[in-house]
Amino acid sequence: MTDPFSTLGLPETLILEPGAVDAAWQKLAREEAGGEGANESVAAARNESRALLSDPVLRLERWLDLRDPTGGAGRAIDPALMDLFAKTGPVLAGTDALLARHGKASTALARALLAKEAVEAQLAVQALLQEIQALKSGFLDRYSEYETAGAAGDFSEARRALGQLKFLRRWEEQCRARLLALLET
Amino acid sequence: MDREDLIIGIDLGTTHSLVGVVDTGFPIVLADGRGARLLPSCVSWPLQGDPLVGEEAMRAGTLVPERTVASVKRFMGRAYTDLAPAEIEDTPYRLVAGDRGEVLVAIDEETRPAPEEISARILRRLRETAEFALEQPVRRAVVTVPAYFNHSQREATRKAAEMAGLAVERILNEPTAAALAYGLDRLDEAATVAVYDFGGGTFDLSVLQMREGFLEVVATAGDTRLGGDDIDLALARHLADELGLGALDAIEESTLRARAREAKEALSEAESHTVRLPFFRGGESHEFELTRDRLERIALPVVERTAPICRRAFAEAAAKGAGSIDRLILVGGSTRIPLVRAKLREWFGLEPDLSQHPDESVVLGAAIQAGLLCGRVRQILLVDVTPLSLGIETFGGLMNVIIPRNSTIPTKAGELFTNAVDGQRSMAIRVLQGERELAKDNWLLGEVVVPFAGGPKGSARVGVQFSINRDGLLEVLARDTATGEDHVLEIRDAAVDVDDEAVERMVGESVDFAFEDMNERVWTEARLKSEELLPAVDAALAAVGEKLSGDERADIEAAAARVSEALGDEAHDARALKAANAALDEATQTLAALLVEAAFDGAG
Repeated sequence: MTDPFSTLGLPETLILEPGAVDAAWQKLAREEAGGEGANESVAAARNESRALLSDPVLRLERWLDLRDPTGGAGRAIDPALMDLFAKTGPVLAGTDALLARHGKASTALARALLAKEAVEAQLAVQALLQEIQALKSGFLDRYSEYETAGAAGDFSEARRALGQLKFLRRWEEQCRARLLALLET
Repeated sequence: MDREDLIIGIDLGTTHSLVGVVDTGFPIVLADGRGARLLPSCVSWPLQGDPLVGEEAMRAGTLVPERTVASVKRFMGRAYTDLAPAEIEDTPYRLVAGDRGEVLVAIDEETRPAPEEISARILRRLRETAEFALEQPVRRAVVTVPAYFNHSQREATRKAAEMAGLAVERILNEPTAAALAYGLDRLDEAATVAVYDFGGGTFDLSVLQMREGFLEVVATAGDTRLGGDDIDLALARHLADELGLGALDAIEESTLRARAREAKEALSEAESHTVRLPFFRGGESHEFELTRDRLERIALPVVERTAPICRRAFAEAAAKGAGSIDRLILVGGSTRIPLVRAKLREWFGLEPDLSQHPDESVVLGAAIQAGLLCGRVRQILLVDVTPLSLGIETFGGLMNVIIPRNSTIPTKAGELFTNAVDGQRSMAIRVLQGERELAKDNWLLGEVVVPFAGGPKGSARVGVQFSINRDGLLEVLARDTATGEDHVLEIRDAAVDVDDEAVERMVGESVDFAFEDMNERVWTEARLKSEELLPAVDAALAAVGEKLSGDERADIEAAAARVSEALGDEAHDARALKAANAALDEATQTLAALLVEAAFDGAG
């Protein structure tokens, strides 16, 4: 498994300054000769590491894998997430049904008839996305606490956060995909 | 520099192709013996003698259109089953299925070249141009492809170059190439730039970040079946209707499309243009005065198809932290159309940057990339992304994404596989590219077979690593975690992944495509469109009809009546129904715009 921190020459920490990952990645790319960069395998590992560390959820996951390799994944879902889950399903299903109808429409006029519903769906998905991001931020703001607890050998809160963040990340991706699809309508 | 080290840059375009090289630090476009830099991407097989390439082939095209192949890039790396009936019908030469399900061009019974063989003839001519200009043999090249080309289309391009005696040192995305040409003179700038690349047959939009000699693509989106050719076709159909030409034979169709293209090009400069068709059908001659305004109404639906693609790329770039777009660079011949520039201003509030030569910036970028590879250029660093998500088919026919789109390349990602039953020796994985949730809606690149050592259920542990290299090509590596042994897995061509019976049927159908059969298929497609359009007109008139002028409403009602009439025709005249649908589509453009406006007003 790639250790993204050492691949990019970064300290093994959850808290990275904005731009630190990109700066480390660019420095390595620049050091290589002739603008062509490293061989495929080295460059691929470097790009993979950049993608992992740029995403705070994947960063937490990899940090836990390195610091606490025997720990199990936190699977319990907080009540706030359960409430959000109950909202997510209908919004996504409604958007999918609309996108399917839009996909079947072969004329500009038939598609235009769906414009009102598309705008409403876009607003609903955006509202959901904001809720997801607010919950996500709540966990990300506590990264320094997880780091401190981890230094004392306690990874339980970080594990629990990772379980919740993985759900939130997945819903965020699903909402973003629907928003992109709605942009194309 | 050693003569063997020289690498040329090639833009293998849908309508035109070019070749370039870096000379004393600057990229230049090379001209052939007659001083021409643009080579029409056209090959023609005369009834006698060797095939013609380029300008000669274009000229022959009006005499033997069914033996003349232009825009073959649209069919590179595609399976016959992947073609829409309209694509087959709208192509002036005959397309058939090969015995592996691939697309072939049927010139006659004996001559059935694959698209890559035809492209190879164009590439060979470009190689000769370079050898003539540089006075040395040329064996290595950087070749550009649309950013949105998938693995199979890239692989077909590489194969074409190899057939032309060229080793492909890099497959480069066209908008990225254009950005290289733009960025070489602006190494100190820090900016977010978007390249809007609208060519003859393909459209791409890439967003890049430039800073301190770094040129990094952050997002790309596109459509490999959208270009200026679509405008030519729509205009040719409009002219045929306006002039009452009725059914056209192949020569007439080819002539009309050539005149349509000329008119389109002329109207980028002039406000009006006379389309002349002397001795068009025997003694018949026709003239038609076409205004830019009329052309724009015809071209609008094609140009509008680029808007959602741009919005998607902008949104994805923003999600990756790119700043707002500072420059919008236009490349590709179709960006000469004033409507395109006006729409970009209207949609995005951006003044298009016209500093790049629409036809030459891609080849100049290819030459710069070639210069980077052979050490003639050093001061710029290029980083690109993969345009399409890569995944595998999972239980239930779903797509499981392994490498998301817009990942920086080269990149890799792995999955672990195990045996599901005792003694299982292998497992086939279907490899997909695309963004849809259902596996069947994505491109099937092929299958890889993962080998197991046998043993009880769940005992095998084989890690499969999917890598996308700098050419955007997929490589699959399997590692047995017990032995640590690696081996490269062969990707079985998607076209082959069709059972024999299906291939036989496909070959039979494509070869013996009777006119009646084709007419019936086109009729069915047009009928479905009419059945959707007519109730949509009623609903839209009920919703926003009061905002139309009396004349606009009368036009729409008359066009709808013509569709109803054509629909009721017992002879099933597919062409007439398609024309009536197209006229109603055009007549309802304002109505559609009013509906969209009303939707946004309601949301505000």
